[in-house]
Amino acid sequence: MDKNLGELEQLVLFALLRLGDDAYGVTVHQEILERTGRTMSFATIYTTLSRLESKGMVDSFVGDPTPERGGRAKKHFAMTSNGKLALQQSVRALRSMSRGLDTKWGTP
Amino acid sequence: MNRPPAFARWLLERVVPNHLHDALIGDLEERYATICATKGIPAANRWFWRETCCSPRTRLTATPAQRVSRSNNGDSFMSALQSDLRFAWRMLMRRPAFTSLAVFTLALGIGATTAIFSAVNPILFESLPYPNANRIMMIWEGTDPSDKNDLGYSTYADILEKNRSFSSMAAMASSSGTLTGKGEPQFLEGERVTPSFFRVLGVAPALGRAFRDEENVQGSQRVIILTNALWRNRFGGDSRIIGTPITMMENDFTVVGVMPATFENVLSPTAQYYVPLRYEVSLPQACRSCRHLRVVALRKSTVTITQARSDLGRIAQNMGSDFPKDYSNLAFMAPKLGDDIVTGVRPALLAVLGAVALVLLVACLNVMNLLLARGAQREGEFAMRAALGAGRARIVRQLLSESFLLALLGGAAGVAVAFAGVRILVALSPSTLPRLAAIRIEGSVLAFALALTTVVGVIFGLVPALQAARGNLHDSIRRNTRRSAATSRFTRSTLVVTEVALAIVLLVGSGLLFRSMEQLFAVNPGFDSTNLLTLQIQGGGGRLRNETLVGAFMAEALKNVRAQPGVEAAAMTSQLPLSTDFDRYGVHFETQPKFNPEDDKGGFRYAVSDQYFETMKIPLVSGRYFAASDAAKAPLVAIINQSFARSRFGEVSPVGQRIKIGGLNGPWREIVGVVGDVKQISLASGEVEAVYLPEVQWQFVDYAMTLVVRSRSSLNTLVPELRNAIWTADKDQPIIRIATANELMAERAAERTFALVLFEGFALVSLVLAAAGIYGVLSGTVTERNRELGVRAALGATGRDQIVMVLRQGMALTVVGVLVGLGAAFASSRVLLTMLYNVSPVDPATYAGVTAALFVVALLACWIPARRASQTSPLEALKAE
Repeated sequence: MDKNLGELEQLVLFALLRLGDDAYGVTVHQEILERTGRTMSFATIYTTLSRLESKGMVDSFVGDPTPERGGRAKKHFAMTSNGKLALQQSVRALRSMSRGLDTKWGTP
Repeated sequence: MNRPPAFARWLLERVVPNHLHDALIGDLEERYATICATKGIPAANRWFWRETCCSPRTRLTATPAQRVSRSNNGDSFMSALQSDLRFAWRMLMRRPAFTSLAVFTLALGIGATTAIFSAVNPILFESLPYPNANRIMMIWEGTDPSDKNDLGYSTYADILEKNRSFSSMAAMASSSGTLTGKGEPQFLEGERVTPSFFRVLGVAPALGRAFRDEENVQGSQRVIILTNALWRNRFGGDSRIIGTPITMMENDFTVVGVMPATFENVLSPTAQYYVPLRYEVSLPQACRSCRHLRVVALRKSTVTITQARSDLGRIAQNMGSDFPKDYSNLAFMAPKLGDDIVTGVRPALLAVLGAVALVLLVACLNVMNLLLARGAQREGEFAMRAALGAGRARIVRQLLSESFLLALLGGAAGVAVAFAGVRILVALSPSTLPRLAAIRIEGSVLAFALALTTVVGVIFGLVPALQAARGNLHDSIRRNTRRSAATSRFTRSTLVVTEVALAIVLLVGSGLLFRSMEQLFAVNPGFDSTNLLTLQIQGGGGRLRNETLVGAFMAEALKNVRAQPGVEAAAMTSQLPLSTDFDRYGVHFETQPKFNPEDDKGGFRYAVSDQYFETMKIPLVSGRYFAASDAAKAPLVAIINQSFARSRFGEVSPVGQRIKIGGLNGPWREIVGVVGDVKQISLASGEVEAVYLPEVQWQFVDYAMTLVVRSRSSLNTLVPELRNAIWTADKDQPIIRIATANELMAERAAERTFALVLFEGFALVSLVLAAAGIYGVLSGTVTERNRELGVRAALGATGRDQIVMVLRQGMALTVVGVLVGLGAAFASSRVLLTMLYNVSPVDPATYAGVTAALFVVALLACWIPARRASQTSPLEALKAE
């Protein structure tokens, strides 16, 4: 299985980690928007979540329908231990690649 | 709570895969509500549409289960197709200008065709919404479909008794009345029917029951069945209504049933209620010559249409010999109900359908042209692919994928165009168009659009694909792509010629219709239509319990109206010219008795108040107008129109002659004047006989009278003044059908206007597309012949020479196209014959005008490439080589 993560996958996994039990499409979208200023379409978020799910990094379960959603049920997402491991590796790789580069690219 | 755009939601439901439906669409709705609250509805709508456009992406990700099964199958065809489509998508996205132009063109063609199909489908092709629709037939008296007559009740009763072909039969007549009681008085249209009416149609009330036979006799308890719309709008959809009485006119009716919401009455679409007919053969209005009932019958399943018709023929023969005084040459016509209701509009609809098919063809030819031009430019690419091992079939498949994808995008945009188009169509439709309520985009229409898209994608992609893959691909790799494509130039020129020809056909069609309308509106209606307002007053109900009170109310209302400062003159008539009123009576002349009085040609009967002719400005030919002295007790008088006078008396004045109106038992009336002819049915109809009587001298009071008002001021400000004036006489009487005389004239010509507007739209689109085609071909040629143009310039050709060369090429294409198009228009314009008025289908002025217009547009389309050719610099051209 591919354990490397793309940028979108990293962002989504971070959002899941931060949101805990309250992670579903709208909150993931909101979290990424607030923290990075990036507007992702819901289709992109769901495509990413489906990919992570097929890699075994994310689990999902269906919640209760609510009236403000036109009576439609939420789909909640949670990170699996595989997901956590992949994210840790990914962050570690980024850190080690960026370490000591401050002088080369200036302070961001 | 605000809802996201309905069409976007509809699309989402279809695009998002099922397993993500609730999650994704629910999220979008939730977020939509938040954006509505923070940024407003327009921003939220824009956001929702953006998300909808992105949503097809979710289809690309398969669920884990699908992923496993696909990797096991190793379906190479599917994966090749997928990769073809993905590649095609990338190629299309790389040339956004080309793609959007092609998609836009296809969307117009597919959208317009789909919209027209959705309108024509329920009218011409779908069977009517009744279980045995194919066995329902109308029965009319007469032999000519354009002059069919209603039946008298006795005739109906005889057919009912003697026929062997029909399992049930119903007679009906229109009805109207004012509903009083709770709430404001409401004028309703309805239908009086025999109880068998619902059995013939095979429908039953959703609530309560149908009529019983014992409720169809005089003196029985009055009962009524409501339509679903009336029940919901007036009675709040209360199911306890069954068994309760409601008051209409001065009578109580017990509600016994409510029709289902899905019930569509094609026989009288505006009917809001049904009451039993309650006729017996002994009643005076049930006579054989009292032809005012429409008859509909359900044929037995064991009897064929031909058998049923010959059965009716036998009955007609017997009845004719049994009652020679009542009928002469009696015959019945029995068309299928579905055919009967569309007879009038079928030619217009077929013509429009044909026109839109031409537009689609022009659009497809245009896209084909674009694809060919693109194929020529990409020849080097195909050669390279062939060199790398791609077979010819593979390249054709790749190109077909591109054209199919283009068609698919065009089809999707076309459905959106169709949704908008249907709304416009319904708004434009003449009220005489049957089954207006059934016009909508639904499953069968979408299937049609999809089939159309597939055909367009494959057929019109195949030619360019084959053309591109033809010839020696390996050779062309050595050639400069810009110089290639002489063969494709020929194909493209042929396409442009075809486009120009089709555009000419459509332009001629719309030109002929336009000239007809001009002629039609130039027809003199027989009265002065400027500053003339008309409105109908319904008397009865409330305190107006009898004819005397209704008559008094009408007189007082007229007096009040005349007292208004904005009113120059006002009068009343029982029948309004150019409205749907149709009130005809037999007229018998004392000096010209006929063998069979029933054969005496009828005339339109107008019961009018004094000053009617003066208000309408109908000219007096001889004798005098009615005067105030022609009162109820005064000697009975009448005025006839010029056509009537001429057909009966030639050049001799009929003034002083006597006539009887409506049966031989009535009193004699003296003709005191002859007035000019007035158009009653439509501006296009011929002159018809008419007879005018003072309303106070007619044998009964008309409960519905139309007020005609000649105004001094603006007609808009006059309406509230008139309403108040009438309601001062009695505030409970409804006022309906408010229209200016000019609006009435336009309404009567609505079918022609409908066809004209559509034809004009189609002709314009095809003209623009043909111009784009000419421009495309010339522009491509100039690019391809850049080197040659450079050499010519180097050898001394002036800019003017270059312009002339390109123009000559463009105009040669146009001339050929115009010649072919004029021939095709000449051959096909006959289909418009029934819609033309005073214009020949080969009208030279129209043909000349259209040709001139097309040449001007073609010249404009040639000008830009010609200018570019004139500016070719020899140095640049040769350097580019």
